[in-house]
Amino acid sequence: MRRTSLLTATVLGGLLSGGIALAQVPPKDQPPGPGNNTQQEPRSPHEAGKFGAPDPSNPQAPGVNAANLPDNTEIDIAEVPQAAPQLSANPAHDDWPAYGRDDDASRYSPLDQLTPQNVGQLKRAFVYHTGSKPAPGQVNKWAAETTPIKVGDSLYMCSAMNDMMRIDAATGKEIWRFNAGVKYHSIPYTAACKAVTYYTSSTVPEGQPCHNRIMEGTLDERLIQVDAETGKACEGFGFHGQINLMQGMGESVPGFVSMTTPPPVINGIAVVNQEVLDGQRRWAPSGVIRGYDAESGKFVWAWDVNNPDNHHQPAPGEHYSRGTPNSWAVMTGDNELGLVYVPTGNSASDYYSAMRSDKENAVSSALVAIDVKTGSPRWVFQTVHKDVWDYDIGSQATKFDYHAQDGSTIPAIILPTKRGQTFILDRRTGKPLPEFPVEERPAPSPGNIPEDPRSPTQPWSIAFPRLGFPELKESDMWGMSPIDQLFCRIKYRRANYIGEFTPPSVKKPWIEYPGYNGGSDWGSMAYDAKNGIVIANWNNTPMYDQLVTRKQADKLGLMPIDNPNFNPGGGGAEGNGAMAETPYGIVVTPFWDQYTGMMCNKPPYGAITAIDIKTHKVLWQQPLGTARANGPWGLPTGLPLNIGTPNNGGPVVTAGGLIFVAAATDNLIRAIDIKTGKVVWSDVLPGGGQATPMTYQVNGKQYLAIMAGGHHFMMTPVSDALVVYALPDNVH
Amino acid sequence: MSSRTRPRRASDWATLLLGLVIAVFGLIFVAMGGYLAILGGSLYYVICGIVLVASGALIGLGRLLGAYLYILAWVGTILWTIYEVGFSWWEWLPRDFGPTILAILVVLALPVLRRQDTIRPISRGAV
Repeated sequence: MRRTSLLTATVLGGLLSGGIALAQVPPKDQPPGPGNNTQQEPRSPHEAGKFGAPDPSNPQAPGVNAANLPDNTEIDIAEVPQAAPQLSANPAHDDWPAYGRDDDASRYSPLDQLTPQNVGQLKRAFVYHTGSKPAPGQVNKWAAETTPIKVGDSLYMCSAMNDMMRIDAATGKEIWRFNAGVKYHSIPYTAACKAVTYYTSSTVPEGQPCHNRIMEGTLDERLIQVDAETGKACEGFGFHGQINLMQGMGESVPGFVSMTTPPPVINGIAVVNQEVLDGQRRWAPSGVIRGYDAESGKFVWAWDVNNPDNHHQPAPGEHYSRGTPNSWAVMTGDNELGLVYVPTGNSASDYYSAMRSDKENAVSSALVAIDVKTGSPRWVFQTVHKDVWDYDIGSQATKFDYHAQDGSTIPAIILPTKRGQTFILDRRTGKPLPEFPVEERPAPSPGNIPEDPRSPTQPWSIAFPRLGFPELKESDMWGMSPIDQLFCRIKYRRANYIGEFTPPSVKKPWIEYPGYNGGSDWGSMAYDAKNGIVIANWNNTPMYDQLVTRKQADKLGLMPIDNPNFNPGGGGAEGNGAMAETPYGIVVTPFWDQYTGMMCNKPPYGAITAIDIKTHKVLWQQPLGTARANGPWGLPTGLPLNIGTPNNGGPVVTAGGLIFVAAATDNLIRAIDIKTGKVVWSDVLPGGGQATPMTYQVNGKQYLAIMAGGHHFMMTPVSDALVVYALPDNVH
Repeated sequence: MSSRTRPRRASDWATLLLGLVIAVFGLIFVAMGGYLAILGGSLYYVICGIVLVASGALIGLGRLLGAYLYILAWVGTILWTIYEVGFSWWEWLPRDFGPTILAILVVLALPVLRRQDTIRPISRGAV
C-alpha cells in the first residue's frame, strides 16, 4: 500500500537499468478479463495453480497466527444492546478521546493555553518509553505511527507491537500495561498501531470492571478489549477479551493481513478493516469489512465485495472472497446516519487490473459508506477508476458541517487522496457538494497492456485547491551538479510519462506521479471548524515503475510472502512485488538518482497548506521539513534550509492559533502559526516523528504529545519514545 | 612539452589539471547529453559539452582561447538557466553552482594562461 524498502529499491533499480528494461515478449497466457465470470472459477487444475483462487477446502493452517482462538458466533443486529453515549461524540474540553480527537476526526482541540506568543517556551514535561523497538538481529520494520488518546487524567496508547498502556497524563508514570504477545513474524510491512479506541459499555454499570474499555486491533488479526481502569482483559468480550479476526479469511501466513488502525464504534458496532500486503498475489486474503458487537465481540455482519448479499461468516472451510480491495486507513463513524466511512485501496495486484471483477472495480480507491445495521454500502464515491497506480486512500475522512451560501447546513465529509485531489461530499448521499463539483476528465486510454484497458476518464475535484504541483517536465529535474541533473533528465526521457494517469508498461519504465506516497497519506487532515480552515501536509514524491514479466520477476527474486523462500529482509513487501497469479511482477523505485540517493525532481518533496473552505482559497503554503537530517548518500547536511521533505503523520490544529506537526524526515516537531504559516517553535525528537501529535489539558496545564517512533522506510531513527511538552510553571 | 623553454611551476600543473577536469566534464556532457538528445531531450548538454571539450583541451595546452571558451560556455549556461527556470534560485543550484566554481578557477588561471600563451610563440619560434 505504501512504500518499498529503499535498499531493495536501489538493488533492483541497478538491475533494472542493467537491461531488464529492454523489449518484452507479451505473455502467452492471457488472464481472464474484467467481468469475465471465469476469473474466479478455474477451468482446470493447471489453471488453478496459475490464476485460480485457492481451494476453499484448504483454510488457514492452525497455529500460523497468534490468533489461535475459538470460533466466534454470530448475533443479529437486533440483539446488539442500545449503545451508551461515547466520549468521542462530544469530547470534554481537556480530552482527546479518539484518534482524530472526536467522531468527526477533526484533529482540532479547543485548548488555547499554547499560543504563537508563548509556544517558544515549551519544554519537555516527560518522555515515556513504550519498550517496542527492533531487537538485535531483527530487520527494522518499525514505525509506531501512534497517537495516544487522553481521557480524564490518563493517556492510553498502544506500542508498535500492540502492547497497550495507561499513563498518567501529567507525569508520564505507567499505570498499567497489557502485553499483547504479538510475534515478530506477524509484522506486515510495518509494525504500526495508530491508536486504541475508548469504549464505554452499555451493559456493564459504572464502577464495575470493563464499564470503560480500551480496544485495539492487532498486527496478528485479533480484536482485544481491556478494562480502562486496570488493563485486565474484558471477560465479557469474545474469548477472554479477544476475538480472532482471521476467522473466515482462509489461507494466509503471518504478516499477510494485519490491523493497524483503531476500530470505530458506531451505535454499538465496532467496525474492523485490515491491511492486506500489496503486490503479493492476485488471490491475496480478502479485504472484507466486518462489524462486531462492541459489547460482546460477537459477529454481526460482513461486507464482502464479491459476495455482497451474504453478510454472514463463511461456513467452515469457506472463506471471504479473495483479492478484493482492502482498507488500511482509519475509518470514520457516523452515529446520526448509522454509517461507517471506509476508505478503500485497490484490489490485489495493485498494478494489474485485468483480473478484477466489476464489483471490485466499482468500490476500489473509493470512500464507501456502509450501513452499520446491515453491512451493505449505502453509497460509494470513487476517486480513481480501475486504479493501477496504488493511489489507494490512506487518509481518514473528516466530517464537518458545511454552511452553504444559501444559508443551509449540509452534513459533509472531506476526503483527501494520494492524488492530492480533495473531494468534499454530502455524507448522506456521497454526492459532491454543489460548491465542490467533480468533473470526469479524459485520461490516457486504452493504455499499454492490451488486455487491461484503462478508464477513459478520471474524476477531478475542480473547486478545491489541489495539494500538488504541475506535471513533471524535463527541466524540473534536479541534482547537486549538472551531471546528476543530466542523469535524471535521461531517466525522465527514458520513461513513459503523460501525466498523473500514465498507464503501466512492460517495455519501458513509467513515472507514477504524485506517486503512491504522494498527496495526503495516513496523516490525514485537520479541520478548524471555528474558522473553516483545512490544514493538510502532503507529499510530492514521484515513483519510477515497471511491470516485469513473470520470468524476470522470478529472476529478480520477487516472491509472495507465503512462498517458503520469501525473504522478509529483502523487501518484496510494499512496492516491488511478485503479483503472483498475474502475468506480471512490479518493480517500484523512487524516481531518484540511485547513486546519490537524491530524488530526481526538484524540491519541495513535502509541504503544508492551509485552505479556507468557504472561499476555496489557499491561505498559505510552505515546504515542510528542513534539510538538517537529509542529504546526498544519506548524509545529514545539518542545514536549516526549509527544503520540504517527504512526510508521514498528520497535523493538529488548536484554538490557540497553532498547528502542531512533525511528520517530516528532519525529526523535528514544530508549531506553526495558523495565520501566517510560519514555524514559531521546533524541537529535535529522539526519533523520527512519523505520527500525528495530540494535545490535552490536565490540572489546568496544556500538553503536547508526539510519538517519535521513526519510520523504517523513511529511514528516520527508530525510537520508542513518546515525548510530551508543556510550558514551565512560571509561564502562562 | 619539449618545446617549453621554462620548467613548469605549480600553477602550470594546476592549470593543466583544470583543463583536464573541464575536458572530462565536456566528454560526459557530450556522451550523456548525446543520449538525452536522441531521447528527445534538451540539446544544451551536447552543445555545451563540445565547447567544454575544446575549452579544456586548449586550457591544457596553455591557450588563453580555452579560458574564453569556458567563459562563453558559462555565460551560455546562465542564459540557458534563465530560459529554462527564470530566476527560481533553487533551480539554479544544479545548473550553475558547479560551473560557477569552475569559472572562478578559470579566471584565477587567466594570468597563467596569459603567460603561457605569450611564451608559446617564442618557444614555437625556437623549434
